Amino acid sequence: MPTVVLLDSSLSMTRPVSVEGSEEFQRKNLAVHGLTMLFEHMATNYRLEFTSLVAFSSLWELLVPFSRDYNTLQVVLVTDGALGIGRGSLRHSLQTVKQRVDDKKFPLPFPFPSKLYVMCIANAEELQATDSMDNLEQLINLNGGEGQIYTMEGPLCLKSVQSMFGKLIDQAYSPFHAVLRCGNLTSDVQVFPRPEPVTIDEEVDPIPKTVQTDLEIVGFIEIGDISSPPVLSRHLVLPIAVSKEGDEIGTGATDDTEEETSTNQMAGKSPNFCVLLHGSLKVEGMVALVQLGPDWFGMLYSQADSKKKSNLMMSLFDPGSEPLPWLGRMSQLGPASDAAENPYGEDDSKSPFPIQPKHKRSYAQNVTVWIKASGLQTDVQKILRNAKKLPEKTQTFYKELNRLRKAALAFGFWELLKSVAELLERECTLLPDSAHPDAAFQLSHAAQQLKLASSGDSKYAVFEQNITPMLTDFSGGGGADRI
Amino acid sequence: MRIFSVSHKTAFVVDHCPYMAESSRQLIECDMLTKSRSQGVIPLAPVSKSLWTCAIECSMEYCRILYDVYPTKKLVNYIVSDSEVHILNSWKQENQNTQELMTALAAVGPPNPRQDPECCSVLHGLVAAVESLCKITEYQHESRTTLMDTADRVANRGRIICLTNAKSDTHVRMLEDCVLETIQEQNKRAAGSDRLMPIQQCELVLVHIYPQGEETLVSDRQKKELSSVLSSEVHSVRAGRYLAGKLNVLVQQHFDLASTTITNIPMKEEQHANTSANYDVELLPHTATVLNPFSHETVTLKWCTPRTNSVELHYCTGAYRISPVDVNSRPSSCLTNFLLNGRSVLLEQPRKSGSKVISHMLSSHGGEIFLHVLNSTRSTLEDPPSISEGCGGRVTDYRITDFGEFMRENRLTPFPESMVDAACRTPVERAKFQLERHTRYWPMIISQTTIFNMQAVVPLANLIVKDTLTDEDVLTCQKTVYNLVDMERKSDPLPISTAGSRGKGPKRDEQYRIMWNELETLVKAHVGTSERHQRVLDCISACRSKPPEEEERKKRGRKREDKEDKTEKNGKDTEEKGWTTDSERLKGVMEREKDEQSECEIIKDSPDSPEPLNKKPRLATEEQQPPEKSKGPVSLLTLWTNRITQANSRKHQEFAGRLSSVNSKAELYQHLKEENGCVDLIFYLIVQLYFCMDENSFWDLLSPI
Repeated sequence: MPTVVLLDSSLSMTRPVSVEGSEEFQRKNLAVHGLTMLFEHMATNYRLEFTSLVAFSSLWELLVPFSRDYNTLQVVLVTDGALGIGRGSLRHSLQTVKQRVDDKKFPLPFPFPSKLYVMCIANAEELQATDSMDNLEQLINLNGGEGQIYTMEGPLCLKSVQSMFGKLIDQAYSPFHAVLRCGNLTSDVQVFPRPEPVTIDEEVDPIPKTVQTDLEIVGFIEIGDISSPPVLSRHLVLPIAVSKEGDEIGTGATDDTEEETSTNQMAGKSPNFCVLLHGSLKVEGMVALVQLGPDWFGMLYSQADSKKKSNLMMSLFDPGSEPLPWLGRMSQLGPASDAAENPYGEDDSKSPFPIQPKHKRSYAQNVTVWIKASGLQTDVQKILRNAKKLPEKTQTFYKELNRLRKAALAFGFWELLKSVAELLERECTLLPDSAHPDAAFQLSHAAQQLKLASSGDSKYAVFEQNITPMLTDFSGGGGADRI
Repeated sequence: MRIFSVSHKTAFVVDHCPYMAESSRQLIECDMLTKSRSQGVIPLAPVSKSLWTCAIECSMEYCRILYDVYPTKKLVNYIVSDSEVHILNSWKQENQNTQELMTALAAVGPPNPRQDPECCSVLHGLVAAVESLCKITEYQHESRTTLMDTADRVANRGRIICLTNAKSDTHVRMLEDCVLETIQEQNKRAAGSDRLMPIQQCELVLVHIYPQGEETLVSDRQKKELSSVLSSEVHSVRAGRYLAGKLNVLVQQHFDLASTTITNIPMKEEQHANTSANYDVELLPHTATVLNPFSHETVTLKWCTPRTNSVELHYCTGAYRISPVDVNSRPSSCLTNFLLNGRSVLLEQPRKSGSKVISHMLSSHGGEIFLHVLNSTRSTLEDPPSISEGCGGRVTDYRITDFGEFMRENRLTPFPESMVDAACRTPVERAKFQLERHTRYWPMIISQTTIFNMQAVVPLANLIVKDTLTDEDVLTCQKTVYNLVDMERKSDPLPISTAGSRGKGPKRDEQYRIMWNELETLVKAHVGTSERHQRVLDCISACRSKPPEEEERKKRGRKREDKEDKTEKNGKDTEEKGWTTDSERLKGVMEREKDEQSECEIIKDSPDSPEPLNKKPRLATEEQQPPEKSKGPVSLLTLWTNRITQANSRKHQEFAGRLSSVNSKAELYQHLKEENGCVDLIFYLIVQLYFCMDENSFWDLLSPI
């Protein structure tokens, strides 16, 4: 999640804080100290975070042109909580929030998912003495409750600003470390950005699910079989080297200090499972299914950024037993070698995926819909067209006839059955002399059957029972025209 | 999202009383061919649907769309009401399909106009609907069972859609009161039952249907809360296409569907096969597929050529089933058949700015069509470091091809629900177990292994990882071992030592010794699996060349032997690590060989590894790279620190030494060497998107430069 830091640069931030026996600080000095700590943390432990800094002096300037293109954002607002007065102040803005016109809407809630963290260079008592705290809380509420207000504890000094920013770092910027396992092959990894907790059903299961730190590969699937699945989020999986003392020494990606460079070089030279896995996933065009927690899965794959650069990426599926309908229940996926017959075929020409659902969807099963008159007319015409080509089209004629019959019976549309029967009888009278004698037999037989069905007589109006072609001397022993 | 929302259960109540047999008075001409026939044929009279037929086909259309988009967890209970109640299906998932409902409806047939109207009423159906909403569904039951003591989180809500012909507004009130009373009654009953649940929320949707050309006797009414449990709305609609339109709007509202039109679909004309025209098809996917779910207008997505191929992995943030609005129309069926045949189409969404961006993809999986939402926003993972820059990135001889083979062997496949093995493991547990077995000994790089570079070992290596071995398998393994023995007797070269083939005897012996050790390590890792696995190990122990110690003693000096002994003991102490030490030893061997001869052939290179670095002579100066030389964009921290350094520097005179230092190390007496050397470290830049007021003059820290 990219971060935008908003730094209050109004006059009140230059208010001195009195600390006994030390040099005089302004609130802004404390803010700067805290931000330095935050940025240092990001530079070492959260390197890939996109960060930008905005200075502002009155709140209506929050209307910065955030790029809509980022679908999520974290906003860190650093302020002393002095809200200012008059037009444009937060107090005034919040009071008039409902009077705004569409094109001058209050910036909150942001038009994208976001978290708003307010870092107050002030302590809670101070903010509660005025309505500042209430107004700030209202900001968070406007953002759908997404975010948090941090205040300083104790005297305003470097130590307490550190502890406040420390809390923010723990809350929002702690790196996610995990162990990636494939049987006995393992690698220590950092997952970036860190996966956030997910709630699937706030009512039945309100406790957010978190990704476990043991990422266990369960098996492999072809890219064509997994077929662009929907995912909750995407994360880089970066192998990290863990030194003997158990301290992490970074991802080995960039070079900061001398010592780190040499340790990174060493880490670069010792084989790592992530690199092996990535290479093979890329070459084979496959993904690895990985278990993220009880009933929660994701996939690992090679993501190419450009021709030269590519990376091991992890996408998270929705938590649950069946996140992808075409794979079926995740717990029912087992090793292909356990199957009696190789589901992929001996020459890799087959695939057990996708799984076919029990019932076909409407567009795959030639349903009958007569909502529009044209639907019904088309169906009647199909029957008549085939009626003219009897006996060659006997099979399709009865197929279409039965489709119409079934729908008419279900819809209680007996009148239609009578009409179509009449149409067929008329067709019979209009047959040219050259017509095959069987045509007349079939037409009158069909007409008679439709009439019987339209009477509602339970003997003839059974839904599942089709009208079968009449067996005549002409129909070649009767076997030819089975439906 | 909530699974047990009002949409979990929908009870359809359709009036089957005699007045529903009345004609809708919407005439349909079905004798269309007559026009082309000139001579004296009297065209048939047009047909007209009854109110009942209209109600049924529209409700079926509602169900069709619902089942297309939500084949599970959104359930319908279909009830027909006349002098009695006909319940056509249950909440069971297996009953949820239009086919089954159509069969049941055919059995009910149209209303009998001669039936006594006095004893017929839709009330029976409404009472049955309330009773039915109290019945627990499979999903509610399952959820309650898994939640145990928090089972009360499972809610019971539902909707009743009643299609009827009401007499008046008063009649409508009476129906509503009846539902309200029944809910109160049934909730009391349900409280004391395991299979029933009290209704917490019920939405009653009354649709009054009247023939065309008549005035309605019932007025429309928006949703109104009748009690804390029941809300009700009334729709008064003419039969025929108005009713169809109404139910289409309702199904969209009830299940959060958004009308989405795919435009510019090129299709071949039937008559003119060489021309193609562009068509539009309207689909109903879930609202989440579109960026603006609040707009009531249809969303337009434009067909994009070229198509995508199936082996491309798109970053997709959602996939939702769709249902075509006009399922049987030619353009609709053309599109759906195209997709069902396995092809996918990318779609672009026109934006306000006029720019276009590929935002969606239509694709079918297992006969179901999904609208995939593709991520069209900028990635937050732009320009990440390549994997070759990280840990293990400099290693060039990963066994990429072998691991690819390993992945193919460990592909997954679906097993039927009932499939559990003797140890009661689910298929996915078996998959993990298989991976564990297959990786007990799996060196990651080529130079770490001898046996996996040897074709001769393949049969044994493939078999030994199996959970069970047949006698035949054991025989194959034994043959492999004999084959190796034979190779050793003939002094065949081993893949690792091709470069050293001109070497003398001892080296070859050493290689075989290492190979045998590695093979033993592999088999030992599986020896606990079964007695047959043990037999393979026994075979190796019996056949392999003389005990290494003896051989060593003959050929090598005492010193080296002691070392080897130690590593071997370590290997035995910690069996898991055994192979690492072995491979380390192997490395040692290789290094020794390297020392002996300069050329060292690389066996095969892994395709994805970076080129080996050119070995440059190590220079002390190279290690002190100035930090500002680091590649990539400048981080916010750097910008920020520089800015502060600069601000601070104005307040005091910087030490001359620090100013000219590199990496905070100042070289003393540098004037003795050369004059220049003052590095200007200070540069400034601040990200500032907006700025104003004169307060900023106080802000020396952030003022514009």
